[in-house]
Amino acid sequence: MTAGNKDILSARAEASHVAALLENAIRDIGIPSRPSILDRINAEMHKDNPDFHHLAHLITSDVGLAAGLISISNSPYFSFRGRARSTNEALMILGLDVSSRAIAGLILRKLFPETPGLNRFWDASAIIARLSGWLAQQGGSDINIRADDAYTFGLFRDCGIPILLNRFPHYPTVLKNANGEKELSFTAVEEAQCPTNHAVLGSMLAQSWWLPEEVCLAIRHHHDYALLQQDDSIVLPSVTLGLIATAQLAEHLLQHHTGLSMTQEWDKAGAVCLELLRIDEKDLQSVYKESAIVIDSAD
Amino acid sequence: MLATQIDPTTGFLDRYSCLKVADDLVSRVRKAGQPLAALWIDLDRFKQINESYGYLSGDSVITFIAQRLRENVGSRAEIGRVGADEFVCLAPNFTRANAERMASELMHAIETPLDIGEIHLRPSASIGIAILESGDATFSFLERADRAKISAKNQGGNRYVVSGDELVSGRMGTLLAREELAVEYMLYNALETGGLRLNYQPTVGSDGSILSVEALMRCTVNGKVISPVKFIPVAEKTGLIVRLGEWSLLEGTRQARYLLDAGVRTKVAINVSRAQLLDSKFSQALHAALVCANVEPGLIELELTESLFMDNSKTVQNNLRSARDCGVSLSIDDFGTGYSCLANLKDIPACKLKLDRTFVLALPHDRRAMSVVKAMAHLGKDLGMTVVAEGVEKKEQLEMLWDLGVDGVQGYYCAMPMDAEALFSWLKGNR
Repeated sequence: MTAGNKDILSARAEASHVAALLENAIRDIGIPSRPSILDRINAEMHKDNPDFHHLAHLITSDVGLAAGLISISNSPYFSFRGRARSTNEALMILGLDVSSRAIAGLILRKLFPETPGLNRFWDASAIIARLSGWLAQQGGSDINIRADDAYTFGLFRDCGIPILLNRFPHYPTVLKNANGEKELSFTAVEEAQCPTNHAVLGSMLAQSWWLPEEVCLAIRHHHDYALLQQDDSIVLPSVTLGLIATAQLAEHLLQHHTGLSMTQEWDKAGAVCLELLRIDEKDLQSVYKESAIVIDSAD
Repeated sequence: MLATQIDPTTGFLDRYSCLKVADDLVSRVRKAGQPLAALWIDLDRFKQINESYGYLSGDSVITFIAQRLRENVGSRAEIGRVGADEFVCLAPNFTRANAERMASELMHAIETPLDIGEIHLRPSASIGIAILESGDATFSFLERADRAKISAKNQGGNRYVVSGDELVSGRMGTLLAREELAVEYMLYNALETGGLRLNYQPTVGSDGSILSVEALMRCTVNGKVISPVKFIPVAEKTGLIVRLGEWSLLEGTRQARYLLDAGVRTKVAINVSRAQLLDSKFSQALHAALVCANVEPGLIELELTESLFMDNSKTVQNNLRSARDCGVSLSIDDFGTGYSCLANLKDIPACKLKLDRTFVLALPHDRRAMSVVKAMAHLGKDLGMTVVAEGVEKKEQLEMLWDLGVDGVQGYYCAMPMDAEALFSWLKGNR
């Protein structure tokens, strides 16, 4: 465990500092409809023969986006020996689906000001996203989820939190209470003190950015653990359940490796997530071991 | 024994031999009463690989992918290369479940990153699956697999589709009629690809002011416009209306914010369905929209039918109370149709009463309609509501409605529904 990783995991704990920094800075911004660059990329992607050079040109018009995309494509999660040196190569490595969603994640982050606390929050989301993608690639479960959906879900799962931090001055306290709550669901604690919760908010934002329906549903229900235990009465698509369980395990791995456990979520849902993913105690030990490289590569 | 030709790049059967082997397999499994599955595999983005790195590199990629297919399939099936980047896998004794499992395994195998010289790729494939049916000739059997593959491709690739499921897409509603399934599929498609839009139709006051703009949902998939008359009932039947409704809430509130930012303070009216109000999370969704758009609740109005105000469901009433308590206004839509009851009006906490278009259609010549409109206009105003007439299409109707005492009108004569950009220009022009 590195000091850097400890920093990343402390994101939620330091939410109160974040809120103070955020409150004045972005009180007046609204969260936009899907940014136009995503629409342009989407339009190109859905052509019979997408023009990669044109896409690369679109992305390169924002240097930060281009750099972010290249950095993601060079992360060990995608496990290449070679490294992308240009946007075009990054697009080829990631594929258009992953690229589009990675760009959405980068843009979402850019909507908020650079503050140390918030940066750590986004960094934690990015690691959970990569861990989720990595877990999805390992397979083994009856539920077949796509690695890029797992990655996208990891990126957007908690995107409602920074928005609520921005809007409600008391939300850091709410967050602290929710993180410490052992019985009630995370969202029930939020709803007791706020008019909405981060899961509903995040799901609506994701939907307005045209993310896949299974991902939007997973964002909306990622604290509704009772739904993970459904038997014959199908309430959510199996892919959605798989996404929720995978990201929960990813968050747990992050906490396991960094030695910090800021939430009670794994205690509430760990067993059902593992059952859903067909992972027993012995497997989990291997997962702990093998996932270390994904965590360590985050810096 | 069939004389077969081998594709030199992959070591698989070539296209012609593959068809011959398929023909042979079809007759063999028929005689034996066994199932047979065909998996049509098409690599995604292969054209870009060829264009970016040249055909020789493309061949190298194909060789690697072929190796993965071979290792995964083993002796379970025959594989043929039927196109530059297309393969057919014929698996005797494979049921649908076996075939789907194999498709998942193949997609997983193909997805492993490829690193050949200067080429760094994360390949993926679209797979179509067909299971031999009693009436299938070899060609129609393979054609079904090919069509399913095209459907997988059209859904964005990197997935498999089983022939016959193209419209269902594995989601709810298996008992719906085929057309409804198609509409449902298109709605999902619209939700995931940006096919939803809101148009806005203004309500104009008797003094020329703009009382509000009503958000009306429009759906376009692959350039084809789907009428709300078609998609709203399907959305209500499948429960999708809740998702569409939430999308409207967020987009509508954002529109109020954009207009405000542009210096135009206008209330946006958003339609709400019973299914939404029966959702225990409606209130959270409404507040989420307000938070996301950062707009004051007073600029948002929810339009719902009279029956919803009188609904006995505790959830509906709690949701309505929550909306009202936070400052969002409520209006009664389509009043005068169905089982409208004047006695109920005094108990309804709405600030606007919208008279149904059927009354306006009968104007200006129908004296009975005139009397009803006049009475309702006075009653609504006495109860403290703004009274609006819907469906105004003629100048004579408009003039009579002002005489009868309504406060506002909405309809083609005053303004057509328009997109956000046109609305902005229209509002600017009317200031």
